Amino acid sequence: LTLPGKVIFTAIPILVALSAGLVVVIVLFGAPILHLLVANLPIVRFVLAATIILLMTIPTAFLIIYMEMKVIALINLRIGPDRVGPFGSLLSVVHGLKVLMKEDFTPTGADPLVFTWAPVVTYLASVMTLLVIPFAPGLYGQDFNIGLLYFFAVGGLSVVGLLMAGWSSYNKYSLLGGLRSAAQVISYEIPLTLSVVGLILLAGTMSLNQIVLNQSGWFTDWYVFQQPLGVLIFFIAATAEANRTPFDLTEADSEIVAGFATEYSGMRFGFFFFAEYVNVFIISALTVTLFFGGWNAPFPWPWPITLSLDPGGLGIGLLLLVAIVPLVLTIVFAVPFWIASSRIKTWQALLGGFVLANLFLGALVFAGIYIGLDWVAGVLWFMGKTYAFVFTFVWMRGTLPRVRIDQLMDFAWKWLLPASLLNLFVTAAAIVVVHK
Amino acid sequence: VSLIPGLGLAKGMALTLRRFFEPKVTVMYPEDRRDPPHKFRGRLQLLYDEWGTLKCETCFQCAQACPIECIDMGGMDTRGRYHVHWGAPETYGERREESALRRSGRTVPDPAYLPFASIDLARVDSILEEFDHDPARLLPILEATQAAYGYLPIAALKQISNRTGAWYAMIYGTASYYAHLRFEPPSATIQAAAIEAHRPSEATYRSALEASLAGGPGPSSPAGAPN
Repeated sequence: LTLPGKVIFTAIPILVALSAGLVVVIVLFGAPILHLLVANLPIVRFVLAATIILLMTIPTAFLIIYMEMKVIALINLRIGPDRVGPFGSLLSVVHGLKVLMKEDFTPTGADPLVFTWAPVVTYLASVMTLLVIPFAPGLYGQDFNIGLLYFFAVGGLSVVGLLMAGWSSYNKYSLLGGLRSAAQVISYEIPLTLSVVGLILLAGTMSLNQIVLNQSGWFTDWYVFQQPLGVLIFFIAATAEANRTPFDLTEADSEIVAGFATEYSGMRFGFFFFAEYVNVFIISALTVTLFFGGWNAPFPWPWPITLSLDPGGLGIGLLLLVAIVPLVLTIVFAVPFWIASSRIKTWQALLGGFVLANLFLGALVFAGIYIGLDWVAGVLWFMGKTYAFVFTFVWMRGTLPRVRIDQLMDFAWKWLLPASLLNLFVTAAAIVVVHK
Repeated sequence: VSLIPGLGLAKGMALTLRRFFEPKVTVMYPEDRRDPPHKFRGRLQLLYDEWGTLKCETCFQCAQACPIECIDMGGMDTRGRYHVHWGAPETYGERREESALRRSGRTVPDPAYLPFASIDLARVDSILEEFDHDPARLLPILEATQAAYGYLPIAALKQISNRTGAWYAMIYGTASYYAHLRFEPPSATIQAAAIEAHRPSEATYRSALEASLAGGPGPSSPAGAPN
């Protein structure tokens, strides 16, 4: 058998058996299972959200890795990845497969339990923070009333993963790297947390969903205009927190081996880097959520639109409509081509009309979805803003040189911390003055 | 203006953003094989003729033609007399110490040029003035210099290099390429000088002889003459 043949001949019987078993299970126990699920809807919702978020991080990391390769290449006047997939977009997938296939090696003397769990802790600490981020109206894992606190608490766990990796590797350089990254991340944790306290005072809540709802309306309602210093401190501290350039001393690729990840190989190594890129997404998402209106559009739609479409009410007319509208639109859009120049042949005009009609219909459908489903609009705005920040992080990596470790620490303790305290006091004073 | 914090960051970010949209310089090699540069001649190699003699005549034309100035040749010339080099002195491998001296601001002794006596450079200067200090008109300048001095003194070549800004190696290369240019006085002059040095009183003999042949009163016993 050929390789595809082997795959098909193995997979089809398995699939058939599994489907048959599934059908039997549904027929026999379908109703009780459904009742159980309905009775425990919050738990089911949570498990589903956690699964979706865990699965979502992988394509997100692939996308950001690809973005990083491509954007930095374009900044360097290179072309960048262009061989695998359209515009090289599958190269990061290939990288992922490559680390999957590499040997998973545990050095002699390493503590196998801690060594194995360190990447898991780091990765999960990143992924679990995504649970509280509202992607769209009603589209969030869990709406804690202490969501922001949860975010920082769980996000802080990644330090534990880094320390575990450094400690368990049985290598002094790994240990030094782990301690250094712990020092950096813990130092920047303080201005990062302090910079959003002013925002919490303004919002009066730590629920991220409520914070986003507070910013609805015009873009001038976003907290960035009330907390400009806070945004700046938050952004800088978040850059350091996510180990991004110019604060990527944790694994300064060009200077030291890989810090805490020196002894790692294969997919465990890959998990550290997945976690790094997921972190980039998460801090961008959090910046957008806290300061840039989350899933809110920058301007409210000036007049209300209610779609009261009832296609079923048309009866047989709906079928006629479906049959005739594309033809009519094609001809209507072909007319301008046909009139424009006598050198355009009829079939060319019709082809152009067909393409334009499809674009028009697609735009109509998109507009209908955008207006009708507010979570689609929310996700689009949220992702657009988030990826604008992801682009900024990549852009910074393509521009800024790395700082020294003493400059890094000086900056955190001598500048960011006083600045965040100043921001907090000024905000508090302003709130007191305004409310009196 | 430079005291505004973050201005440098903003400038850098703006630069990279501009680069982001500029056309890219990558050559897609296996698909797109560009022609080599106009003066590309393959691997650099010094060739020997059938008698085993190095064919290189130290004319520096290869170094002049090199579009990316990767050819640096230097050392003694073919007749083993002069140090010549293409390119800036700082790039000479064997002159690292001198370049260190130069960078530290001290004068650099150049033993290779010490044996060559200084000459009256006023004539070179007037020639250069006449040719507008234009290194593109090097051959006429060199010909005029040779006409003025009878040959091309090294000091004159260095003066031309200093005044026109052309590299000394270029001037040397041009001067050594043309057969009618010479670096030493013509042989008749050299012979006369040698005879003068070897038999210093011959001129006295000759004048005395001519005077006596002419019948006039001459010095009866020249000083220092053998009897």
